[in-house]
Amino acid sequence: MSYLEITPDLSTPRKERKIAARIWSEAFASVEFKIGLVVFVILLLSAIFYPMFSGIDPTKMNISAKLSPPVFFGDGWSWVHPLGTDQLGRDMLSRALVGLRYSLLIGVSTTVVMLAVGALVGLFSGYFGGSVDTVLMRLTDAQLSIPMIILAITILGVSRPTIPSIILVLGLAGWPVYARVMRSTVMSERKKEFVRGAMVLGATDWRIMFSLILPLVLPPIAFVAVLDIARMMIFESVLGFLGLGVQPPTPTFGNIIADGRKYLMNAWWIATMPGVFLVLTLTSINLMGAALERARNKIYGGA
Amino acid sequence: MFIASFLARRLFQGALIVLLVSAIIFTLLRVVPGDPVRLMAGGMAPEALIEQIAEDMGLRDPIYQQFGRYVGGMLQGDLGQSFVRPANGASVGGASFDDNTRSERAEVWDLIANTAPMTLQLALLAMVFALIIAVPIGVWGGLRPGEFPDRFALYLSSVFVSLPNFWLGIVLALVLSVKLKLLPAIGYDGFAYTILPALVLAVEIAPFIIRTLTVSVAGVMGQNFIDIAAVRGLTRNQIIFHHALKNSAVPLLNLLGVQFSMLLGGVLVIEFIFDYPGLGLLTINAVMQRDFPLIQGIAIVTAAAFVLINIVVDLCATAIDPRLEY
Amino acid sequence: MALDTAHSTEALLSVRGLTVTLESEGKTRAILEDISFDLKPREILSVIGESGSGKTVLARALVSWLSAPLRVTSGEVLFSGSDLIADKAYAKSLAGREIAYVGGNPAGALDPTMTVGAQLVEKLRAVRPDISAADAKEKAIRLLGAVKIPSAERRYHEYPFQYSGGMMQRVMIVDALISDPALLIADNITQPLDVTVAAQILKLMRELNADFSTAILFICSSLPVACDAGDEVMVLHAGRVVERQSSANLVAKPEHTYTRQLIEELPTLWADDRKGRDTPPNRDQQAIMSVRGVAKYYATRGKTGKALVQAVRNVEFDVFPGDNFGIVGESGCGKSSLLRLLTGLERPDAGSIFFEGENVGEASSKRLRALRRHFQLVLQDPYGSLPPQSAIGSILEEPLKIHGIGDRKERRERARAAMSEVGLNEALYDSLPTGLSAGQRQRLNVARAMILEPRLLIMDETLSALDQTEQGKLLDLFERLQAQHGFTYIFISHDLTMVRRVCSRIAVMYLGETVEVAPNERLFFDPGHPYSRALLSAAPTLEERRYRPEDCLLEGEPPSPIDLPPGCAFASRCPHVFERCHKENPALTSRGNHALAACFLDSNTGAKDSIHD
Repeated sequence: MSYLEITPDLSTPRKERKIAARIWSEAFASVEFKIGLVVFVILLLSAIFYPMFSGIDPTKMNISAKLSPPVFFGDGWSWVHPLGTDQLGRDMLSRALVGLRYSLLIGVSTTVVMLAVGALVGLFSGYFGGSVDTVLMRLTDAQLSIPMIILAITILGVSRPTIPSIILVLGLAGWPVYARVMRSTVMSERKKEFVRGAMVLGATDWRIMFSLILPLVLPPIAFVAVLDIARMMIFESVLGFLGLGVQPPTPTFGNIIADGRKYLMNAWWIATMPGVFLVLTLTSINLMGAALERARNKIYGGA
Repeated sequence: MFIASFLARRLFQGALIVLLVSAIIFTLLRVVPGDPVRLMAGGMAPEALIEQIAEDMGLRDPIYQQFGRYVGGMLQGDLGQSFVRPANGASVGGASFDDNTRSERAEVWDLIANTAPMTLQLALLAMVFALIIAVPIGVWGGLRPGEFPDRFALYLSSVFVSLPNFWLGIVLALVLSVKLKLLPAIGYDGFAYTILPALVLAVEIAPFIIRTLTVSVAGVMGQNFIDIAAVRGLTRNQIIFHHALKNSAVPLLNLLGVQFSMLLGGVLVIEFIFDYPGLGLLTINAVMQRDFPLIQGIAIVTAAAFVLINIVVDLCATAIDPRLEY
Repeated sequence: MALDTAHSTEALLSVRGLTVTLESEGKTRAILEDISFDLKPREILSVIGESGSGKTVLARALVSWLSAPLRVTSGEVLFSGSDLIADKAYAKSLAGREIAYVGGNPAGALDPTMTVGAQLVEKLRAVRPDISAADAKEKAIRLLGAVKIPSAERRYHEYPFQYSGGMMQRVMIVDALISDPALLIADNITQPLDVTVAAQILKLMRELNADFSTAILFICSSLPVACDAGDEVMVLHAGRVVERQSSANLVAKPEHTYTRQLIEELPTLWADDRKGRDTPPNRDQQAIMSVRGVAKYYATRGKTGKALVQAVRNVEFDVFPGDNFGIVGESGCGKSSLLRLLTGLERPDAGSIFFEGENVGEASSKRLRALRRHFQLVLQDPYGSLPPQSAIGSILEEPLKIHGIGDRKERRERARAAMSEVGLNEALYDSLPTGLSAGQRQRLNVARAMILEPRLLIMDETLSALDQTEQGKLLDLFERLQAQHGFTYIFISHDLTMVRRVCSRIAVMYLGETVEVAPNERLFFDPGHPYSRALLSAAPTLEERRYRPEDCLLEGEPPSPIDLPPGCAFASRCPHVFERCHKENPALTSRGNHALAACFLDSNTGAKDSIHD
């Protein structure tokens, strides 16, 4: 705003910190980030430690305790199985928590894969422009125009899904969005004077791309990628639900809910309870992601 | 004049994209393990017979030849025939291989054309629901950044975006349909069957609209011409409704273009849960049955739809903001 | 005029004891203190103040456009006798109707998605609902014509982005005057415009003042402009009115020390103290940079398919070692494109650029990188030109690393040495540049450029973002570095006073061409091209002008570099145009004593020296 020039005292004192650090502290100061973080840490710790310490094997069947409802619901609940058991008497809580582990593992790795591929494509496309850009962007458009899920289920449906293949397929299906965002930010950075300055100093394209532009454009994109971890976790659960995710007996949110759907009428908790866990985890991640996104917009908009 | 050349250019680019997509899918389906003929013929069919069928169908020719044939057919509007579905509807295959049914396999194009209107109905209703939920919340949030409406938009969209569609579908079906008996849920027997799936889909789309709108409305409200409009003597209503909303519409349009594939992804899962006879259910069944021609056809048709929707989006965007022509 | 003219001798606007404060971090600071003045109907009052004096806050206070953390804490603003501060509804009812405002940023002032005409009508009917849409349209087109927008009828239907900055500012003036306001607040309206365009706008404003009998409060930061524009000038300093006099008296007999200082510091163009460098370099040696018939075209997508923008054409000049060479021109004259060619960032489409006898335009990219050690660029924007995430020390060491000079320790020492040489505290070595002022940033830029010990430094508007005092300090620094290291400078600038002060030889550019290349004195006292005279006539100065705007000022705007007319590109605006100008494009021709100009009129009288003397 033009009239702030005339009131220099008004502008917040410029702290001499890197942008990434400023985004973190800005996000951390918000309520939503704190809520998200607390919930997330609790869930994460439970996912790591509960199955280990409770000694309950999520795949162990116990027909005598089958279809036990969650605590406080219906007849025959017990504290041994706080979230009840499924049709084979397996403990729902430990199943959900183990599912959460896989979900997080796949969500995070997938996001890293798609961020890496997308960032690289976008960096080359946006920096070199011209025919490099045309070829890469046509490829991106083509990839973007096939709905990600169709691509994923096609590949996983006709081959056998394993954890690495799921990560690879989801990651490869998701990169185009990053390539686009990256391309446009690289393009705008490339026009800036400091890039011209570096060129005049004699820096090579490689040096400008990787040591000057990439460190500038990657953090803001990477912060927002947190939101995609959640998106990818949903995706993983959808695949599991369709039977194309990590295969049973390994419990995942998707295959638990798909199983539970068959018993919806007499054991509603099998399908719904793990979902509550998933929703809680996703909400906590999304809150943190939204806080980071806002912090980024605020810092980039104001600087 | 401008529109004609724009359309020509974009349609040409679009055709290239569709071609590229078909090439990718085509290759992909042929390099992944799993022989569709085995599936078609059934596990009991003798090896020689399988080779015979594959030979007859041209599946043992080099990929580029198969692709050439396929594109040739595509140009004449022929997307091939389903491997497993007979013309009358129910799927065949499995153990009872019967050579006679092959001539009566359903045309891929017919299968898509029959189910697409159902999906369109679902998607449009979902979009209407989503806009009804998201526009007021998003605009309100954008007008008061940092205040309650903005927080509300943030929390609501964070929760909505965290609800996996299949789980929400199950929960809503359980509550609204099974317990409360308000809405029908499974299958399709009239328009009422579209409402519940559309609601679930709307919840999936709404957060993206809310976020885009809060950001773009807040951005536009911070711009100089809005700031100065009050000094020029315009009323607040004029400023918001004639200027701010119009200017924030472009990012929203772009969102709809880019998130088209997300919408389709949602449709797919939701149709599966609600057993809603649309394109999504067709896709899932095609994948489960390894019905390659059908998967290919669906991918190509959706890619074409994506291209067309993006052309329309860009046309609308230039109509709103003439700078984009340049 | 809505106002009763019977009261015209009474004040239209009277401000009494106006105080505006700013609250930040719990502290309250006065931005404006006890401002009082009167403005009579039809009067033009200029308000001058440097940045930070509170002049924009004053403008905003008068149009009720202050928002937190700014607040009016006391005083009244009486408009025809009623207080705007106390009665918000009254102020609101006047906004845009009786009190109009034009700001300094015409580019973003209208909605980009609506035609200019529609927005003018919308505004008029918002404040005057009784006017029919047809009448409003008729009036808008009439006024667009009145502010000399060519083919107003057609441009009424165009969008804001299709207008140039100067044309858009005319539109904003129409927007302000369309409701026949009694008072116009003009806040820095010429600031973003080129000098010749700004001079046109000023002239227009005075004419409109006479025709529409609107009182004008003209706020600006340039004393010459303020004196030109207003009947009286009010000087604002640190939030207070320090003096108010008629324009002539203010310059002749300034009362306040601040005003005196302001006048003294004002750079002059013709006053006869020593100007520029009067030791012209030895022209017998090899030129350090030699530019021969250079041209550059860019392809764009125009309305009718592909089009070529002729950004640079026929540029010719030599720069000799130890020289201070200036390149001046207004926006769009091709300075930036030429800069990209000179620095080897792009290659020319025609002609050649020699650096110490080696053709830069044809050097291999490897050779070019090696050559870069010897010619360096200092960029215009102090904020955008530094990588935002690197510490000052590593910014300085980067060029050494790129060229593989020295080891870690040696680089560090050279960086520290360069910092102290340009006057940056060495303790800043590990800090990010975010905390530096614009002047400090430019020092850092200079240090970065000179750390490679180049022979030629190209300064791209390096000083234009700095205030007068800081400019002076940096110029002194440049002089000292030149003496120590024997640098040659090329200054690219739009600021005539700066090149007058610093350069020994100056090239004037218009529409991609060098229209005149002359020694400093010659250019300012005997320019050979009508465009140079127009530039001089429009330059903001308090001196008696050697070239009067009435004789030299240009009408209209430069033609588009896409479809250039045949003949001289300046013909469409030239006051002395004759037949030949529309047929042939004049080449740079010598006028004797190393002065060259591209004009038929001048070459007739020119001396007989050869072109590359």
